[in-house]
Amino acid sequence: MSKNNGKNEKYENQFPQPAKKQTFSEMIYDPRDGSIFGRTSKSWGQLFLFYLIFYIILAILFTICMQGLLASVDNHQPKWQLEESLIGTNPGLGFRPLSEQTERGSVIEYDRKKTAEGEYWISLVDDFLKDYNHTEGRQMKHCDFKQTHNPNDVCVVNTESFGPCSSANGYGYKSAEPCIFLKLNKIFGWVPQCYDTAINGMPSDLVNVINNTATEERQQIWVSCHGHFGKDKEHFENISYYPSQGFPIYYYPYLNQPGYLSPIVAVQFKAPPKGTMLDVECRAWAKNIIYSGSLRDRMGSVTFQILVD
Amino acid sequence: MSSKSHLERADSYRVATVIATDDDNRTADGHFKSRRKMPAKAAKKENLDDLKQELDIDHHKISPEEMYQRFQTHPENGLSHAKAKENLERDGPNALTPPKQTPEWVKFCKNLFGGFAMLLWIGAILCFVAYSIQATTSEEPSDDNLYLGIVLSAVVIVTGIFSYYQESKSSKIMESFKNMVPQFATVIREGEKLTLRAEDLVLGDVVEVKFGDRIPADIRIIEARNFKVDNSSLTGESEPQSRGSEFTHENPLETKNLAFFSTNAVEGTAKGVVISCGDHTVMGRIAGLASGLDTGETPIAKEIHHFIHLITGVAVFLGVTFFVIAFILGYHWLDAVIFLIGIIVANVPEGLLATVTVCLTLTAKRMASKNCLVKNLEAVETLGSTSTICSDKTGTLTQNRMTVAHMWFDNQIIEADTTEDQSGVQYDRTSPGFKALSRIATLCNRAEFKGGQDGVPILKKEVSGDASEAALLKCMELALGDVMNIRKRNRKIAEVPFNSTNKYQVSIHETEDTNDPRVLLVMKGAPERILERCSTIFINGKEKVLDEEMKEAFNNAYMELGGLGERVLGFCDFMLPSDKYPTGFKYNTDDINFPIDNLRFVGLMSMIDPPRAAVPDAVAKCRSAGIKVIMVTGDHPITAKAIAKSVGIISEGNETIEDIAQRLNIPISEVNPREAKAAVVHGAELRDVSSDQLDEILRYHTEIVFARTSPQQKLIIVEGCQRMGAIVAVTGDGVNDSPALKKADIGVAMGIAGSDVSKQAADMILLDDNFASIVTGVEEGRLIFDNLKKSIAYTLTSNIPEISPFLAFILCDIPLPLGTVTILCIDLGTDMVPAISLAYEHAEADIMKRPPRDPFNDKLVNSRLISMAYGQIGMIQAAAGFFVYFVIMAENGFLPMKLFGIRKMWDSKAVNDLTDSYGQEWTYRDRKTLEYTCHTAFFISIVVVQWADLIICKTRRNSIFHQGMRNWALNFGLVFETVLAAFLSYCPGMDKGLRMYPLKLVWWFPAIPFMLAIFVYDETRRFYLRRNPGGWLEQETYY
Repeated sequence: MSKNNGKNEKYENQFPQPAKKQTFSEMIYDPRDGSIFGRTSKSWGQLFLFYLIFYIILAILFTICMQGLLASVDNHQPKWQLEESLIGTNPGLGFRPLSEQTERGSVIEYDRKKTAEGEYWISLVDDFLKDYNHTEGRQMKHCDFKQTHNPNDVCVVNTESFGPCSSANGYGYKSAEPCIFLKLNKIFGWVPQCYDTAINGMPSDLVNVINNTATEERQQIWVSCHGHFGKDKEHFENISYYPSQGFPIYYYPYLNQPGYLSPIVAVQFKAPPKGTMLDVECRAWAKNIIYSGSLRDRMGSVTFQILVD
Repeated sequence: MSSKSHLERADSYRVATVIATDDDNRTADGHFKSRRKMPAKAAKKENLDDLKQELDIDHHKISPEEMYQRFQTHPENGLSHAKAKENLERDGPNALTPPKQTPEWVKFCKNLFGGFAMLLWIGAILCFVAYSIQATTSEEPSDDNLYLGIVLSAVVIVTGIFSYYQESKSSKIMESFKNMVPQFATVIREGEKLTLRAEDLVLGDVVEVKFGDRIPADIRIIEARNFKVDNSSLTGESEPQSRGSEFTHENPLETKNLAFFSTNAVEGTAKGVVISCGDHTVMGRIAGLASGLDTGETPIAKEIHHFIHLITGVAVFLGVTFFVIAFILGYHWLDAVIFLIGIIVANVPEGLLATVTVCLTLTAKRMASKNCLVKNLEAVETLGSTSTICSDKTGTLTQNRMTVAHMWFDNQIIEADTTEDQSGVQYDRTSPGFKALSRIATLCNRAEFKGGQDGVPILKKEVSGDASEAALLKCMELALGDVMNIRKRNRKIAEVPFNSTNKYQVSIHETEDTNDPRVLLVMKGAPERILERCSTIFINGKEKVLDEEMKEAFNNAYMELGGLGERVLGFCDFMLPSDKYPTGFKYNTDDINFPIDNLRFVGLMSMIDPPRAAVPDAVAKCRSAGIKVIMVTGDHPITAKAIAKSVGIISEGNETIEDIAQRLNIPISEVNPREAKAAVVHGAELRDVSSDQLDEILRYHTEIVFARTSPQQKLIIVEGCQRMGAIVAVTGDGVNDSPALKKADIGVAMGIAGSDVSKQAADMILLDDNFASIVTGVEEGRLIFDNLKKSIAYTLTSNIPEISPFLAFILCDIPLPLGTVTILCIDLGTDMVPAISLAYEHAEADIMKRPPRDPFNDKLVNSRLISMAYGQIGMIQAAAGFFVYFVIMAENGFLPMKLFGIRKMWDSKAVNDLTDSYGQEWTYRDRKTLEYTCHTAFFISIVVVQWADLIICKTRRNSIFHQGMRNWALNFGLVFETVLAAFLSYCPGMDKGLRMYPLKLVWWFPAIPFMLAIFVYDETRRFYLRRNPGGWLEQETYY
C-alpha cells in the first residue's frame, strides 16, 4: 500500500487517494507551506484582490443605477400619486401623543397621581405641536370658509383654539381628562369630498353637530370617536372635540407646500373610568374616505387605548 | 491488518458454502430460525456463528435408509400429507427470506426528517412558538407566524412524501422482478405424484427432477439417469456436473449425491430427498451472508451529505450569529427568533433535494431505456464515478452461446461465422470434407431445439443439451438446413454417450443411402483421443493413410485452435462392413461389440463463446474514459486471454509476463513483472498471494485478466481494488457473486442470466446482459454529476438574494425587502423547473475522454461552486433585488435615505401615519401593501436575474454561443418561471393568499442591467477560463 507513495514512481493506473487528514491546528496554520485556513497568504491576497475588484465594479454598477433612479424622481412631488401610488386615495387617521417606544403600541396610560407619567405625554404633545407653535418666517395665511382657497396657500393651525386641551392645561393630562390629537394623513394631491348633510350611519352626536353647523362651515371632514367594540358605551358619552368636530376643507389639497401644517382635532375624554382601558376608535367622514374597521385591513380610521389610573 | 481482515471475511464466506447439519433438529423445538423473526443484530451474529460452527453435514454420508429414517420419509411413497403439513408449519415455506426490509414507516420518517427537513422543522417549531407567545401576550396577534409555520411544515411534509414516493417507486420496479415465474416441483407424497409450488416443499419430500428444471431445494439424490446439473451460479464452474446417488466426497459441494437449490438440471432425470429448504440451503446461506455485508454510502450520497452539512453549517452559523447580533442591537427576543426563522428559511434550498431526486430519476429512466435498470437512485451517479469495472466474461463480454468458430478439414482451417447476426465470412459448403464432417456433427449429437420456437432465428433458439453440442447443432442447422429431418433419415441405432473416462461419444446410424446396406459409425470427442482411434484420414475426398506428416498437420491445427482459446472436438467416422454388421445386429453399448479403432479421421471443429459485437468498442471507450476493465472469469486462462484480446481488455501489443518470457526465450522468473502491462492471473496463484501482492498486481498491470477464479476470489479482487482507492463496479450473475456485488460500490446483475439473489444484492441490473450497456450507464452517470453541479450552482445562487434582505433588515433597520413566503415561492416554485431542466443539458465535451472523477477532491459542491454562487453571481442578484426595492420605495415616496432606521416605526401597528420623503403619511395598511409589493418586486427581480443565471449555468467552460439553446426542457423552464412569477404577482387573490401584489410593468425592468451583468461577467470569465487553462481563474472559479 505504501510502496508507491514515492513521487518518482507513478503508474498509469494510480487511483486518487484521500488527502492527508489535517489536525485542527494545521487547518488554521500549516507550517509546512505557511498556509492559513488552507491557503497561503499570497493566495488569500489574490482572492481578496479579485473580490475587491469584483465588488468595486458591482458597487459602481449599483451606484450608477441608483443615480439613475434618483435622477428620475422629483424632489418635490412623488413620482406616483394618488391611485397610481400604493398610498392610494384613502387617507387614514393619525393620533398624538404616540409613544416613541413602539412596544407600548397605541396605549396611552398614566397615573394621574404621578405627575411624571402625565408629564411624559405632555412632552410628547409639546413636541408634536412645536411645528404649529413656531411658525415664524413662514408664509402662512389665516384661512376660513368664506375665503376662496388657493391650493398653494398654507393655512395656519391655531393651537389656541383647543379650549381645555391647551398647553396651559397640560392637554388635560394633569387632570384625568386627557386630550388626544387627531389628524388626517397627508396624501399628495388628495382633495376631500365633504358631507354637508348628515348621512345614515353617523353617530347621533355627529349628526347633531352637523345640523348645528352653519351650512358654509359644513365643508369639513368630520371626525367621530367611539368605543371600539361597542362596549363601554357609557364611557364615551362625554367626548368633546376642539376646535370643531372636523378638518376644514381649506387645508386641502396637500401639495408638499413648504411649511404645510395638517389640521388637528383635539378630542377630550372627560371622566374616563378609573383603571379601565378605554378602547377608542376614531374615524373620518368624507365621501371619498372608505372606512374599514377590520383588524387587518383598517381604513379611514385609527384606534388607540386610554388607561387612566 | 487489512489483509487479515479481508482473509477472515473470505474465510467466513467460504464457510457459508458448507451446509449445516439437520436444521430440523433445531427448529423442532419451536425455535423459529427465520432471520426475519429475530431482532436484526442478534440474528446476524447468530447467523454468522451458525455458519462457523455447523461445518459438517452428514446427509450425503449416511446410508439412504438412515436418511429415510431421519426424515421419516420413503423413497417410493414419499411423505405423508400430514407429516408434510406439519413440516411446512414448522419450517415455513421453502423460499429465501427477502433481505430485511426497512419498514415503510422508517423509510418515510427518514424522508420526513432527513436532510434539510430537520432545519425546516426547527423553523416551523420556532414559528409556532413565536405565534403562541404572541397569541398569549397580545390581543391582536398577527397570524403571520402561524401561517409561516404551517407553510413550512407543509413544505417539509410534501417534499418528504415526494421523495418517499420516488423511492418506493424505484423499489417497486424491483418487486416486479421477483415472483416472475413461479417455480413448480414434482413431489411424491403418499405414493402419489403431485405438482406443487416450490415454496410448498418440505424436508423429507421426495422430488423428481428432469433436465431443464431448476432444483427446488437442496436434495440428496437417490436415483439418477444421466443426471447433470449446472452449478455455475453456485460455484462458478461452467461445465455441467454429473450427479448420481453415490457418495463420492466429504465436501458436500463436491460429492455427487447432492444437488443444490436454484441450480439447474441440464441433462437427465433424478429423484431425490429434500434435505434442506429455504434459507437453510447453501444458496440461502450465501444470500443471507451477502445481506450482512456492509456496503457503505454511495458516492453521491456522500456528496449530498457533505453538501447538506455545508449548507446547514452556514445556516446555523448565520442564524445564531444574527440571533446574537439582534440581542446586542437591543431587539426584543421574539423579534430575534423571527429573524432566526427568516435566516433558516432563506438559507435552506428547500427544493434542492427534490430537484436532485428528480434529476436522478430522470437519468434512471433514461438509463432504463438503455437497458440499465437502476435499483437505487443514487447508483445512477456511482456508475459515473466508477474507475474500475470487474466484469464477468460469460454472457457479459460474450454472447453466452458456444458457437463454432473454426473447422479443420481437408488440411486447412476454415473460419466460421461467429457474429450475432451472421454477417461474417461464409465458407464453401460443398467440399466432400465438409460434407463428411457435417454428417458426423449432425448425427453424433444429442442436442435438440426446444419446441415452439418457429419464428426465432436459429442462433437464438434454445437448445436442450450441452453447450458444445448445441453449438454444433446450430452450426449444422445453418449450414445444412433441417437437422432433425437429416437425423430422421439416418436413424440412430445405437449410442455410447460421452463420459469423462473415454472422452468420446459414438453413435451408429442407418444411412439415408438405401442402396448401401452398411451402417455408419460416427464418433466425436477430445481430438487426441479421436486421433488415436484412427488409421486413415479423409482429405479432399480421398481416404489417406494417417501418416506422421498428417499427424503433424493435425497437431498444428489443434495447437492453433487451442491457442485461440477454443474448445476443440475431433470427428471421425467409419462405415461398418455389412457382412459383419447386418441390419438387425444387436449393438451392445456397454460391452462394445463393434469396432471403435482404425476409424477414418475427418476433421476438427472448435467452438468458442464469441464476444458480443458492441463490447470491443465499449472497452475502448472505457479505456479512453480512464476506466480500468478487469476480467474475472472462471474459465481457462487461454480462453480468457483470447477473449480478453479479442475485446481489447488486453490491447494489441501488450504482453503478459509469459509472453515476454516466450519472446525473449528466458524463464518467467527472470522477467521483470513491471515490464508487462498485461497480466493473466490464475485463480490458483491468487489463492496463495497476500493482499500486498494482490495490490501489486493491481497496481503494476493496467490490463488484468483473472482466470479460473472462484467466486470467493472475486470478493477479494473487489476489496483489493477498493483498497487502491478505486470505485469498483462488479458484474455478476450467480448467487455466489452476490457478496462481491454487495461489496462493490456498484453491483451490476444480469437481467437475463442473473439469479434472483444476485439481482437482490446488486444496485443495478443490465436488462440485456451486455457490457456495452454499462458503458452507456457510465456516460449517463458522468453527465448527471456534471448536470447536478450546474443545477445546484443555479439553485444556490438565489440563496444570497434571499438571505441578504434579512441581514439588511436587521443591520440597516430598513423595511423587510423580501419575505419568507416569497423565498419559498422562489425555492419551491420558480427555481424548481429550471433547476430540473439542467438535468437534460448536453455534455459540454466528450465526457468519456476524461478520467473518472476523483472522489476525494472533485466534490459535487466545492468551495469554488460556493464562491461562484454565493460570492459572485449571488451578489449581483442581491444588488438587482435591492435596486428594485429602492426603485419601488422611492417612486412611492420613500427615498433610499429615508428608509434607513425606519424599521421600528414601519412595523408598528400603532403608527398609522408614517411620514415619507414627500410628507405623505402612510397608514399601517398602506405601507404594508407597499412592503409586500416590494417583496413581489424583489421576487420578480430574482426571477429575472435567474434567467441569466440559468443560461450561464448551462456551461461550466464553454461559451453559451457554442453550447446553444437546444435544451428545450430548459427553454421551457425559462418560460415557466416567468409565467409562474407573473401568475403569482397578477392573479387576483394572491394579495390575500401569498401577500403578492401586482407590479407595474416598469418594475420588471430595473433588474435587467444586473441580468446582463451576470451574463457578460460569466461569459468573460469563461472566456478567460478557456484562454488560460489551469490558470488562477480556473483554480478559483471553475466548479
